[in-house]
Parts: sequence; C-alpha cells; structure tokens
Amino acid sequence: MRCPGPPLGVLAVVTKGLFILWAVPGQGGRPLQPPTLQQVQALVRHMAEDAQELFTFYEENQRLAIHNICRTNHPPEWLRGPVLGPRGLRGLQGTMASMSQALQVIIRHQQDLNPPGAEILRRLASTHLKVRGLLSNLQGLFPAPSSQPGHRPLPSPTAPTKVFRQKLEGCRILWSYARFMAKLNAQMENRSRRARRDKWRARRGSRLSTRS
Amino acid sequence: MMNHFMVLAVLLPLKTCYPTYTQQESLVFPVTYLNISKDLALQQLLVEWDVGKPAHDTELAMSFEIQVRRTGVTTATWTAFHNVTLDKSVKPLHWVWNSDLPLECMSHSVRIRSKAEASKIWSQWSSWKTVLGLDTSNNSGPQIFPNEKVIEEGSDITLCCIGRRGQIIKEFFLDSADHVFNHTNSQLGLLTVKNVAHQEVPHITVYCQESCSEAQCHDHAILFVGKQPDKPNDFSCQTQDMRTVTCTWSQGRETYLYGRHSPKYALFEEFSQKPVPCTVSCSKQCSCSWDRGKQRIWNITVTVENPLGKKTAMDNFDVTHRIYPAAPFQLWEESTDTKITLYWKQRNKGIELFCQAEVLQPDGKVELHNISDTYLHYPRITLSGLQPYTEYTARIRCGAAKHFWRWSEWSKARNIRTKEAPPSGKLDIWREITPVLGGRNVTLFWKQAPDFQANGRSISYEVTWKKVDDDAEAESISFSSVYNSTRISIDNHSYRISIKAKNDVNYSLPSVLIIPRSTGAEAEVSGSELKEEQVNGTDDGIFISWEPRHQYDSYVIDWCNYPMLQPCDLQWKRFGPNTSSALINSDAFVPGVRYNFHIYGSVANRASLLEKKTGYLRELPPLLDPIVEKVDLTFNAVTLSWDSYPTNESQYGFVKGYHVYVSPIEENCSLKGSRKHVLPDGSVLCKYTIENPEEKRYTVKNLLSNTKYKLVVKAYTGGGETPIGNFIYIDTPFNSNMLYLLVLLVIVPSLIAAICGLKLKRMKECCCPIIPSPNKSKVLSFKEFKTGPEKILKLHDCIPDMLAVDSNAKAQKLHPWSQLSSAATEDKIDVHNSSWIYSNENEEGDFTPTPTSSQTHAWFENFAYSSHLAVESDPYQRRETLDASRPELSLGLYHPHYYFDIFNEDAASTPRETAGRKGSLRYISQTAVHCLGRRL
Repeated sequence: MRCPGPPLGVLAVVTKGLFILWAVPGQGGRPLQPPTLQQVQALVRHMAEDAQELFTFYEENQRLAIHNICRTNHPPEWLRGPVLGPRGLRGLQGTMASMSQALQVIIRHQQDLNPPGAEILRRLASTHLKVRGLLSNLQGLFPAPSSQPGHRPLPSPTAPTKVFRQKLEGCRILWSYARFMAKLNAQMENRSRRARRDKWRARRGSRLSTRS
Repeated sequence: MMNHFMVLAVLLPLKTCYPTYTQQESLVFPVTYLNISKDLALQQLLVEWDVGKPAHDTELAMSFEIQVRRTGVTTATWTAFHNVTLDKSVKPLHWVWNSDLPLECMSHSVRIRSKAEASKIWSQWSSWKTVLGLDTSNNSGPQIFPNEKVIEEGSDITLCCIGRRGQIIKEFFLDSADHVFNHTNSQLGLLTVKNVAHQEVPHITVYCQESCSEAQCHDHAILFVGKQPDKPNDFSCQTQDMRTVTCTWSQGRETYLYGRHSPKYALFEEFSQKPVPCTVSCSKQCSCSWDRGKQRIWNITVTVENPLGKKTAMDNFDVTHRIYPAAPFQLWEESTDTKITLYWKQRNKGIELFCQAEVLQPDGKVELHNISDTYLHYPRITLSGLQPYTEYTARIRCGAAKHFWRWSEWSKARNIRTKEAPPSGKLDIWREITPVLGGRNVTLFWKQAPDFQANGRSISYEVTWKKVDDDAEAESISFSSVYNSTRISIDNHSYRISIKAKNDVNYSLPSVLIIPRSTGAEAEVSGSELKEEQVNGTDDGIFISWEPRHQYDSYVIDWCNYPMLQPCDLQWKRFGPNTSSALINSDAFVPGVRYNFHIYGSVANRASLLEKKTGYLRELPPLLDPIVEKVDLTFNAVTLSWDSYPTNESQYGFVKGYHVYVSPIEENCSLKGSRKHVLPDGSVLCKYTIENPEEKRYTVKNLLSNTKYKLVVKAYTGGGETPIGNFIYIDTPFNSNMLYLLVLLVIVPSLIAAICGLKLKRMKECCCPIIPSPNKSKVLSFKEFKTGPEKILKLHDCIPDMLAVDSNAKAQKLHPWSQLSSAATEDKIDVHNSSWIYSNENEEGDFTPTPTSSQTHAWFENFAYSSHLAVESDPYQRRETLDASRPELSLGLYHPHYYFDIFNEDAASTPRETAGRKGSLRYISQTAVHCLGRRL
C-alpha cells in the first residue's frame, strides 16, 4: 500500500511558517537581532501575496464583490504613494503603524459580525501579525527615534459608523493595502536588481581598470 | 345598567344645555384634539386625542374608531376600535399602532370618531393627522429602512428603499435570502422577506440603487438574523472554600448574534436587590464568582438578554449546603505485600469532609472505600486484602460530611504496586512414563494452577526426585520461568518427585508425584489390557465419563492436543473425587482427528490408569474409499473384498461399516439386505449395508448371468461417507448349467442314437460285411481340398478329443471345456487374470498386445469364454498392475472387437495376431462352439 504524500496546501503552509521564522526576527526562540535587508525584502514579498489573498477572501466573505465597490481609486492618505519615498524603507514605518491600527479596527468590527474563531478573524489576525512583524523589522533596521520627519499622523479613532460603512471601509483599506504592498514589493525587487547590476558593473569596471 | 343610571343622573342637571334623556341616545362627543407622532426605535405610531370635558366629567364609557392610512406606492387603511371609560382627570387618550413597515418609508395619517356607549350615533370623523415619511424629504441619496435591525429567525420583514425625489429605485435586493417580494420602479422600493432564515453568513446585506450609477445612487444596509437566548440551563451556585461563591450554567443554543448583539448575562441578588459584583465568563459553561462576605442565604437571578429577548433563571440557597470541595492532591502511599496506606492533602481546611477512595484492581474491577476521619492532618485510608506484587490504581474524592452537596473532582490517579511475597498456591504437575531398558523415562510437566500466584517479579521452578525406599540424597534441577516440562530417567524403584516455584522472596509449597515401583511389564505402563472405549464429541468438546471409585482422592485425564505429532503437546486436567464426567475441550481440537484420553485415579500422589477413551470432536467421512482387491465372479454372484482397508486412528472418524452399491438387479431393490438408493442425478442403485467394520468381504447375490453391472464399496463413519463414484464394472458370465442341460437334452440322445445306429451297423457288418472303398470315405477324401501336393483336412468333419496348440516356447494342451468349467467352478480367480478383464476405455490403444507377446504365444478364440470382467476404476493403475504382476498373462487380454470379427472373416484377430497364428496353429478344433458362444 502506498502512503499518499502531504498535500500541496500543507507543504505551502509549512514552507510559509518556516519562512516567517526566518524572516521575522526573534521568532522561534532566536535572540533578537537586527534583520537584514534581504529578510525584509523576503517578508515584503510574502506580505504582498498575503495582502492580495486577504482582500479576495474578505471581499467574497462580506458579499462586497458587487459593483467592485471596494476597489476604490482613492486609498486612505497613509496608503497613497510614493511607496518608497526619498526616505526609502524608513518611511514605511508610519504606513505599517497605521495599517496595524486599521487592522485592529477591522478585526473589532468583524468580531461583531462573526463567531469567535471564524475564518475571516483568523486571516485578519494573521495579517495583523505580519504587519507588526514588518514594523518590528523596520524598527530593527532603523533604530532611530520614532518621531521622524515625514512621519504621517495615525488615523484618529473613527466615530461609530453604520455596519455596512465599516465593512466597506475595511474592504477598501484591504484593497489599498494589497495594492500598496504589491507596489512596494515590485519597487524593492527593482532596486535589488538594479543594485546587483550596479555591483556587477562596478566589479567589472574595476577589473577592466586593473587590466589596463 | 348601573352606568345608564349614572348617565341619567349626570345628564339631568344638564337638561338646560342638552336635549332630554330621551334624546341621549343621539348625543355625541366628537374628538376635540388629535395628535400623532412616531417612535422610530420601536416603529410605533403614537396617537393622542381627547374629547370634550363634559364627557370626562360624566365619566362616560366611550368607543373610538381609529383609522390609519398609509400613503405611498399604494394606499391602505387599517381600522381599530378602542373602548375606554373616561375619568375626571381630563387627560388625553392614547393608542399605539405597531407598523409592519418602517415608518420612515411612507407618510401615515390617522383620524378618529367617537361614540358614547349608550349612544347609537357615531360622531363625525376628525380630520386626518399625518406624520410624513422620508419619501417626502430631500435626501442626499437612497436610504434603506430598517438598517442594522436584529430579526428573529423565522419571522417576516418588510424593507423599503426611499430614493431621492425624481429618482426611480432600479435595484433593491438582498445578498442572501429567499422568498423575497420585490417592488421597485418608483421612488419607493419595497421588499418583503418571509420566514427569514439564518444563512452561512451571520448577517444579510441589502442593496439599493437608483437608476443612476454614481456613488450617491447606492445605499446598503445590514440585517442580523438570530435567535432569542435560551433560559440558562443547570443554573446553580456553590462554594469550594466558603469564601467565594461561584454560579455556573450552560448557555443553550447558538443565537447567531455576536459582538455587541451577543447574549449578555447579569446576576442579581434578590434579597439585597443589588446586582451581583461578578464578571461572567463563558466557554463550555458560563460561570461567575464573587466574594460572599458574611451572607449565608442567597437568592440569585441570572438574566440573559439579547436584542431579541430575555430569559432568567434563579437559585435560592444556603451557602453552607453548597460546598463543592476542591479535589484532593499530593497523594502518596506506604505499602506492604497485602496493604496500601494512601495519604493525601486537601485545601478545604475547617470543613468536615467525607472522602471516597476508588481502587482499580488488575482485573478491571473497581472498588470504592469510604473514609470518614478526614480531620487528621494528613487524611489517609488503608486498603487491605490486596494481592502481593500487584499494581493497583487509586484516586480520592471528597464531599462535605454535613449537608453533602456533590463530590469534588477526582484527585490524580496514582499507580501503586504491593510488595513481593512467596508464591502462593501450588503448581499443577503431571507425568508421562516411558519404559526403557533398565528403568523408565519420566517426562514431567507443570503449570500454574488457577489458585497459584507468582507474587513476584521473577519466577523459576525447582524439580526434585528421590527414591521412596532409600535414604539416598535427592537430585534436583532448576528451570527458568519459560520452561514447563523436563525429562528425567529413573530406575524401576518407586520415586517421589516434587516441583516448587520460587521467586525473589521464597519457594511455593511443593507439588508431589509418586512414581510407583515398576515390574518391568510394558502393560502396566501403557494399560494395554484396558479396553479402549469410544466417546462422542459435541459442539462444546468431547464428553468423557468414567466409573467412580471411592478409593481415589482425585482423577486426572490426560490427552495429546496433537496426537500425530511428537511431542504431542500432552495436556491434563484434574477433577475432584466426586466427579465422574467431564467435557474436555481445547483450542487445538479439530474435527476429523482421533484423540485418546487416559483416565487416572490418584490417591496420595500415586496415579493409576483406570480407563482409556478415544473419540473425535466431530467425525468426518472417511478419507479414502475401500480399494476392492479381489472380485470373485459367478454367473449370478460377485464377491468383493477390501482386506487392506484401515479402520484405525488414521481415519477421520470411527469406521462403522460399509455400503456396497450395485446397479439395480431388480427395479425396487427388493432382494434381502438391499435398499434402494437414488443418486443426485436420479439414477438408482441398490445399497447393501455391512455393519461390521472388520468384515471386509461381501457377496452380492442374485445377479443375472450375462449382464453388465456397476458397483462400488464405500466405508461410512459417524460423519457419513464420501460421494458415490469410481464404480467397478463387471459382466456376469453365461450360466454353464444351461450348457449341461443342453448336453443332456441334445448330445446324450444323439450319442445314444449313434450307438444304437453303430450297433445296428455292426450287426449288419457281421452278417453281411462291406469292403470299404477309400475313395468313398468322407474323411479321407481329399479331392475337394487339394491345394497342391498336400491334402487338407476338413475340420468340421472332425470331432477332436484333444486340442493341441503349438508355440515357439512350448506347446500347450487345452481341453476345450477345461477353461470353461474352471470359469464356473473356480473360487478364487484373480481379477487381474488378463483373459477376463477388459477396460471400457482405450480398448484398442491400451490393450493391444505387444509384438513380443504375439510372437511367443498363439491366440485361440474360445467361444466358451464369454464371461468378461471390466474394471472401470483406473485404467492406468490397473494396467500397471497387470504389467507388473502378471506379464505372462498379457497374451490373454481379451478384445471384444476381435471376438465379434471372428464370425465375419478369418481375420478374427489383429493382422499381427493372425500372422502369428498362421505360423503356429497346427490343429484347430472345430468343436461346435458356435452354439455355445453368444454375442454380447
């Protein structure tokens, strides 16, 4: 009798788990060390995928796929570009802090609508953990004081709004967040590629000059 | 009636202002004031009105007819009647109308008219008073009503979507609900859902869109579908330490309402009329705990409430009667080989407890022991009467000794093993004695008797033997626990053998066997002079019984589980002196195997063989059929024998006898000893039964001569017999007595006539002799047979006295009648006599004579040999037997084919035989056997 191998989904989850252990410092009992840029980049790549999956699930689960009402072109101010501004990754800290707070609000709203342990709550909590992980990484990379120039103010607690409005707001935030993370990932990939290319050129140039 | 008088009394003074009493029936008190408003939270229309002061002053009983009109897409009117007796307080009257449609959706108008109960005339209707719906207002976009309403599962709901002025509602629907009645295409959209059900999603989303598509043309609403909370189940309160009171209850069904809509619990103390200061936490069960202070008697009400309803449960109790002790902890023990003293700690200091110990025995039985003296510093219990070196599992629980409320949780279970002790009970031992030259081999067996307990970790066995009549030192040998038998050699003296078990502590009591002195006779050991009795098996085993003898203190039955193997796995079983039967069973017993049982009587450890029994668990049909070795055949009988057929233990059952099946002699098998037997294919056989298994010969009589029969012999046991088949075929010979009769009737008179004729002729010759002429002699006249220089003797003119057949080996003399007569008279004719046997199969192929035999023997077709025996059983085996045992007789193989052909042409045999015959035949008898022969 043949034993069936582990399903692909399980393998993917295990891989992701191992990856997070590596990418998020202080996980898995390791001493807290400043993350490398590579780790941050890998985490961003993973978070971009996760953000897209969360949005798709949320939109479907909350029955908001009608008329694309979530897919707004007017994201909240803290999720608007430029994604990597002149301050580079350092500028991401404010965005991630705002996103963490926004996710908390979304989770609170969804707790009114879903039983404890519902899938939507589990996914939101997971994404929230990743956002906090990236924020922690960024703070590890740039351990400067938190009051930095260009830091955007966090959104103030919103007044109680209608439930549908809350759902829609949450959905729009998740859509904007997914797009933001996709752009961030693309930009970081480009930068990384460019850096490698520059490095390769520099090395090649130095060799040529040495020969001449 | 009384009211009427009162009205009259009131109206009399008003005579000047109002018509007289006769006119009262036509008096009216119209509505003087009407106001309506709406409570949007409760979706109620509040109506307030009044009539004139005189009506109040007279405390008139009045009826009011109230009409509510809804104005929107359609106009509908509801009518209600309201009866009231006015009082002098002159307060306005009130009436509430519950709307099934959100009041925001449309404008609602109300009018009222009145009538004194004594009067027959209604007043005029008041003018309509209206509260406007939002359909008349200027909205910035469409609006859905109601929004975020909690609906009870199974109820109906109507929603509306109010568009902006000049806009038409194009779409108005729910994302997940059936049974929707939808009305759009105007400024107002209406949507009704019947029997709202809880869906996968915990809430329903409602969409509304005007005919435009901009953001402001949409609106959305949420509806929550859930259930009322259940009454808190099993609500009860108790204390563990007399300081904190804890109430617990179960939640009941899922309400499908979460977050701010989820059921909220609150506890209230009725005596103090104060909320109980505790925080409810719910997981599997809900609970709430608070410090009781000094209050002893409590009356607690728990209320559960959600937007759909509210339920309560109560518990009134004296806290001293509600003690639920904490589980005992930190168990430890002291143990001996038969006792365990168990200690534990308990948290409930100052509370008198009654405890219980549960002891799980190794056999799975559970014992409960009560402990009342738990005031000790370390409460304890002593469990006695335990088995040495045995593991027990114990745990403790406690309850309040006074006003027992309920048991605490069990403490953690503790596994405890008692100490070791010497083995208890005795070993059950037995022996098998085999006589050898100069002594005996004794195989000793031992097993743990049911009452034997090892009482220790490791066990070993010690075997000791010594002569009974001798002071010589005993010999002994030890075995580990894996052994259960050994063999010792002893001489012919009497011996005492003892076997003991030993563990780390000590020995068990010895089990003793006395081997009596031997006289050397084999019979004394094997009991061969005892007759073996057959016993029957049952579904439950083999039943053995024996004759009880008073002198024995026990009986032993031994047997082999595998009688055909060596060692045969000897088993034994002991019985008390009052037992004289037993059902012996073993997992090794199988049907079709003969088991031999020896019954011994034992007194003072000396065993004597008393009886021998043999039997099967279940008998099966015999393994093999009897092989018929000899067949004696006469013209009317056949005798079969199967002397070598075994009836011993190799059989699958006790052979009880034989059945001989013969193809029918007469239709009904009416001959003596014969019974009709019908085969599954419908053919009929006659069955003869031989009831003695040692009688292995049977003669079937009353056969018809010159007839073919098939027959078979079957052995039968208690398990029956095998299916009928493998028949033997025989042909009975012609009846020779008929020949004698023929001789007497034809030949003798002919001879007499011939003799008489000869005498007459001699007298004639004497008187007048005739000189014979050779040319006239028939015998010596060769003119008709001249074929060259030789003269040929015409055979049919000769009556030979003797027939001589010449061969290359030797000439044989055959009297034409000799073999014929032997066929009729000889008792023992070997069935393999080749001149009598043929096979039904492969006649030509299998029995064609070899060239060698045809060269060395001449063939002689004697027509008197008309009896034939055919053996069908196994032509190959038969032929092999023939060839091997009687090769010289192969010349006699009879072929019916040749037999038939002899009447047709001179090639009465195969060409080869004919050629052989031409070379060797010197004289052929022409004895008139034609008349004796017959065709089959």
